[in-house]
Amino acid sequence: MLDADVEVDRRDFAVRAAVQVARGERVALFGPSGSGKTTLLEVVAGLVAPRRGRVVLGGRVLTCTAPPVRAVPPWQRRVGLLRQDPGLFPHLPVRRNLSYARKASPEDAELAEVAATLGIAGLLEAMPARLSGGQQHRVALGRLLLAPCDALLLDEPYTGLDASLRRSLTELVVALVEARNVPAVLVAHELADAQAFADRLAVLDRGELLQVGAPDEVVLRPASRRVAELVGYLGFVPRGADRVAGVHPERTLAGAHPDRGLVLTGTVVASRPAGAGWEADLRVAGTIITCRLPSRPAPDGGELVVTVLDPPVLAAGGPAGPAGAVTRQATEAGERSA
Amino acid sequence: MSWVASPSELKPGGNAVPRVRSASAVVSVAGAAVIWIALLGPVIALLTHLSWSALWSALSAPGAFGPLLISAESGAITLAVLFFGCTPLAWMLARGALPLPRVWEAGVLASLLLPPLVIGLLLVFLVGPYTPIGELLGHLHLSAANTFLALCIAEVYESAPYYVVGAQAAFAGVDPRLEQQAQLLGDRPRRAFRRVTLPLATPGLAMALSVAWARAMGAFGAVLIIAYHPDGIPLQIYNQLQETGLSSALPFALVLLVVALPLPLAAYTWSARAGRRRRG
Repeated sequence: MLDADVEVDRRDFAVRAAVQVARGERVALFGPSGSGKTTLLEVVAGLVAPRRGRVVLGGRVLTCTAPPVRAVPPWQRRVGLLRQDPGLFPHLPVRRNLSYARKASPEDAELAEVAATLGIAGLLEAMPARLSGGQQHRVALGRLLLAPCDALLLDEPYTGLDASLRRSLTELVVALVEARNVPAVLVAHELADAQAFADRLAVLDRGELLQVGAPDEVVLRPASRRVAELVGYLGFVPRGADRVAGVHPERTLAGAHPDRGLVLTGTVVASRPAGAGWEADLRVAGTIITCRLPSRPAPDGGELVVTVLDPPVLAAGGPAGPAGAVTRQATEAGERSA
Repeated sequence: MSWVASPSELKPGGNAVPRVRSASAVVSVAGAAVIWIALLGPVIALLTHLSWSALWSALSAPGAFGPLLISAESGAITLAVLFFGCTPLAWMLARGALPLPRVWEAGVLASLLLPPLVIGLLLVFLVGPYTPIGELLGHLHLSAANTFLALCIAEVYESAPYYVVGAQAAFAGVDPRLEQQAQLLGDRPRRAFRRVTLPLATPGLAMALSVAWARAMGAFGAVLIIAYHPDGIPLQIYNQLQETGLSSALPFALVLLVVALPLPLAAYTWSARAGRRRRG
């Protein structure tokens, strides 16, 4: 169990967050760049000291700012951190990178097993500079797994790799976290990466934890307008005096289906091909919404009827929710509006 | 039409010698050659003006190799002092681990800018017999005026800034995140330094040491002032020039070159090989 409740000062704002990750659980910290996600991981890893707070891993207090003050140095934390740069030691061949945290032994059965699992068994004598980006990440992951590691922290590790490689590496990490039964935290600024990895999604913005929940719950029932914006809602249609209904482009249907959600009639402002279908911008009640359609919509200026599937209804203002708290308002906030 | 390259079209690997193709390439190679020969001018002049008989008679004179031994010994001591004394400073400068880093760097640069002759003059006021340090040395039956110790001190002062600047650059080239990663994998900072930082900085450190070696072997200005005796090779050359003229000094210039060159050359070859090995 990883339990972190910390406040860290940054130049422009303070990061305040409380996260609990059970053994074998995978949590994704999702938020825009510069929202303080990496800072949180660095506090857990012992690379950054928090202003206030407590980090406990498997019953060991790693950081505590209240007396008795405790700050376990990084080399005693047994926390594995994987960054976007795999950080392989360039002067050591793959085998010695993998066994960096182990006693050297030519017959290392576990090393051979991990290398085989990761598909790098044939590269053990190669130097890191000779490896492709994906291979380097596999070696870096193997190095963490072969080190004493009670928690796995992944800081946008696969940014810059192509989509299929990202998917296979993510699946690999998911399987390994299950096998090792350690808490794992992924930092991601792409929702798809966070969803592919996590059991639970935590949305962070400007240092504030806005919502924590199951990945589908956070996307379908965002706790506030800001969360909705971060998870991809592109339009907000007024509902009453101070409420809005969030419109996610991927949760729209062409035509009127009043039993499935909110039916809106609007004027097509623009349209373009998107993936296997079309995307259209509609003007509805003085605001612009974007929706996905299976076929080409009416030409610009034409009228279009769409159904927004079960939209969350949110407070019209900016981000809501108490600072730093894990909010569970989503279910109440997302009342059915059809 | 085929998109597959035929074997004859395949380019050789990245290590192939670049081929000179165009007129502008020929001109730039010729320009580089002119500059290289100009830089080597003094060495060429030395080799063309030496006669074997003069070389033989100079080197077979009694005591001809005494200064060589003194230079080599004092140079080795200088390198040891620099490596153990200045390497930590260079590391701290590179990592910004010192308060007011600009002040520290300005200090190193100031010592780099002092002309050797001035260093010698100032060393008289610092470690000469009538200074507190000189008196302290006197209590230990040592003296920093015209002694082997004075020679070593002069060489250290002449070469240290070159080593510190070079070593700082070598450490700055090591990504601090690699040290961080080593610590997260369980290494205490000192162990991470030994296993990651030092091996990665070693080619740069070797180059810095070899530059310092060349400075120490050729140290003259400060040496002339505070360590006229015992004479190393530069003073031997100067004395030969004063006493018997240019032609009898030249053989010792060759000795200086032959003694001072192998270490930098070895360091250069070795660091190039280390780079190749790292690239796999």
